Amino acid sequence: MSSRNAVEQQLRAAIFIRNLDAISEHEAISKMLGALQGHPQVGNLQELSAAVFDRQHTDPPLFPRGIAFPHARTNAVSSLVMVIATCSRPILFGEVQVRLIFLIGIPKRAGAEYLELISYLARQVRGETVVDQLVKAEDISSFLAGFAEGA
Amino acid sequence: MDNTGEHQQTRTLSPLMRRLLRLKFWIVEHLRLSERQLTLIWAALIGVLGALASESFRKASGFLHYVATGSSLDIISSFAKLPWWQRVTVPTVGGLLAGLTLWFGNRLFASIRQKTTTDYMEAIVVGSGIISVRASIVKSVSALFSISTGTSIGREGPLVQLSSLTASLVGRIRKMPIPQRRHLVACGAAAGIACAYKAPIAASLFVAEIILGTVAVESLGPLILASVVAAFVSQFLSGGEPLYRSPGFNLHTRWEIVPLCFVGIFLGFLAPAYLRFLRLAERLFSKIDILVPFKLALGGAIVGTLAILNPEVCGNGQGLLQSLFHQNWFWDEVLAIILLKLVATATAFGSGVVGGVFTPTLFIGAGIGVLYGQTVLYVAPGLRADPAMYGFIGMGSFIAATTGAPLMAILMAFELTLDYSLVPFLMVNCVVAYYCSGIFERRFMYGESLERKGAAFFKQQLAEVNLQDLVRSDPLTLPKNATFAQIAETFVQHRFQHIYIVDRENRLLGAISLHDVKTFLDRPELETVVIAADIMDEDFPSVSLTQGMNEALHKFSDAKSERLPVVDNLHSKRLIGSISKTDIILHLAGEQSGTGTNRQS
Repeated sequence: MSSRNAVEQQLRAAIFIRNLDAISEHEAISKMLGALQGHPQVGNLQELSAAVFDRQHTDPPLFPRGIAFPHARTNAVSSLVMVIATCSRPILFGEVQVRLIFLIGIPKRAGAEYLELISYLARQVRGETVVDQLVKAEDISSFLAGFAEGA
Repeated sequence: MDNTGEHQQTRTLSPLMRRLLRLKFWIVEHLRLSERQLTLIWAALIGVLGALASESFRKASGFLHYVATGSSLDIISSFAKLPWWQRVTVPTVGGLLAGLTLWFGNRLFASIRQKTTTDYMEAIVVGSGIISVRASIVKSVSALFSISTGTSIGREGPLVQLSSLTASLVGRIRKMPIPQRRHLVACGAAAGIACAYKAPIAASLFVAEIILGTVAVESLGPLILASVVAAFVSQFLSGGEPLYRSPGFNLHTRWEIVPLCFVGIFLGFLAPAYLRFLRLAERLFSKIDILVPFKLALGGAIVGTLAILNPEVCGNGQGLLQSLFHQNWFWDEVLAIILLKLVATATAFGSGVVGGVFTPTLFIGAGIGVLYGQTVLYVAPGLRADPAMYGFIGMGSFIAATTGAPLMAILMAFELTLDYSLVPFLMVNCVVAYYCSGIFERRFMYGESLERKGAAFFKQQLAEVNLQDLVRSDPLTLPKNATFAQIAETFVQHRFQHIYIVDRENRLLGAISLHDVKTFLDRPELETVVIAADIMDEDFPSVSLTQGMNEALHKFSDAKSERLPVVDNLHSKRLIGSISKTDIILHLAGEQSGTGTNRQS
């Protein structure tokens, strides 16, 4: 229960981008990373970007129903940072049409926190209707409300 | 056919033959010597040989003393007869010769010394029970020069050395396993001490309490036997009188118990200062950057200069002790000789003279005890205190406080005096002195040396271990894009705590710890999204084949992991295998027992 609360707290602190407009995976991720410019928890945005793209190159993390999780465990961030983006027009990540993107940066030491977050997100977005509702969210509050319904 | 043949043969045996056969089986079964019984026989033999070696050293020392001083009297009397310049020259030349012997010997046998030890304590506690013959002879010859020319150092050192060497040789010739060889050397040491002090009980306790750290019957039994046999042989060869026979004491009033019981406290508090003074001398001499022969000559010259003032500083202090117990000394004389003896002993010890400080320590304790007794007599004349009695008790108390072995000290003081009336006071004061000394000093006389040798030996052993011999070449690896499902499956199938993550060239990228992921292993939602690269610890320590075992152990202490990956070198980090703490420990332990087993077979 406490770990779930922690995850929900992290979601509330996330930067929300509604209707991200990008024509490629790279552009989408770059724009989301751009939203972290000046973020107090991001020590080195360039390093974070490199780590995220490196991870994408290794094996792009994707959930079914068009959800992408570009992320990196790097010490370029001092604690977990997250950017959530909805896409009214799906963006192609490899061969998958992505409608919802969670960009996550997490410090190296926070391995358990990372697994807890991914596990939580993966459970929440299992239902098709939940994903539809999340994509339609207008701000972080309605996004979180959609999450709560999924639970 | 065969069975029938056997049956017929059995039937042909007469009843008498059957009885004889039964008797033979009984004898074989019941009277066959067990390993313990054999150890006792060897211990007795070591006692005889140790005593012979010790007596030979005594004779050689006496002869050399005659050559050096032209007198066959004891050292103090000889020096008293020498003119002042000779009192300086004899110990200086003796020190120079002792130093030259050590210097040349060490250069000649340097390669041997690296492989074996010359120190009996080291051979017993941490070594293989092998004492270098040539290096021991070098040490003994050096000691012979120092002791016979009046240096203030104990003769017990070389006596124990030679006796232990004899035991080590027997163990080597008989190709005994290491534990037995070590035990035999311990018997040799006990025999040497028994000869030096004619104190077999204390000798066995000395080795058991100080060196072995146990008074278990299994180890103590052979020590006692070796000591007693050695003491008997020594008595047979050079007389059976105790070294410091007590004139016999009586308490004139029961109130004297009070000051008697405070001797231990007094000496217990002084013992740490004495030990520190010896260490200070050692440190000071180590700062003098001259060759060993000149260092020992300098030590000899200082003792010689003191001998001009008072020739009683010469020698180990045995003659002084006898004089202190049987003659009346003024308090200022006692104080002066204590101070002179203290400086002389510290000088000899610090300059690196081969020998022991046990007898000089006995004297210092006895001297302070006598002073204390004289003070009691002065402050409370009604008690009619006998300072010599305080001297005997002081001697035991000081030994207990400096060696950290009160049991041995009680028995040693008793055996040196053979006066049972002293024993209750010795018991109280030795124990009290030991505890009082322990308040300020944790490093006792022999404990510190053993600690140093133990640490040095361990480091040396570690350095000699070849890391490659201990590497297991089948480490658990996965690529960095292995899914969480693969990771979970691998952990389920194997009992390892870590999976190493490698790239295509088998370069180590990091490790995944079971501890970190075990609570998530049953979460199917992670199976395809999380990969090894997400959860591996990139800073997981690894050991390189180019590093030594010391470095590997440092890494283990940081990682708190049972097993560490081994890479070819820290630059390319190509994974070769893994190494575990248990393997290292087993190797370190097994190397000795293994060698022992080979020798046995």
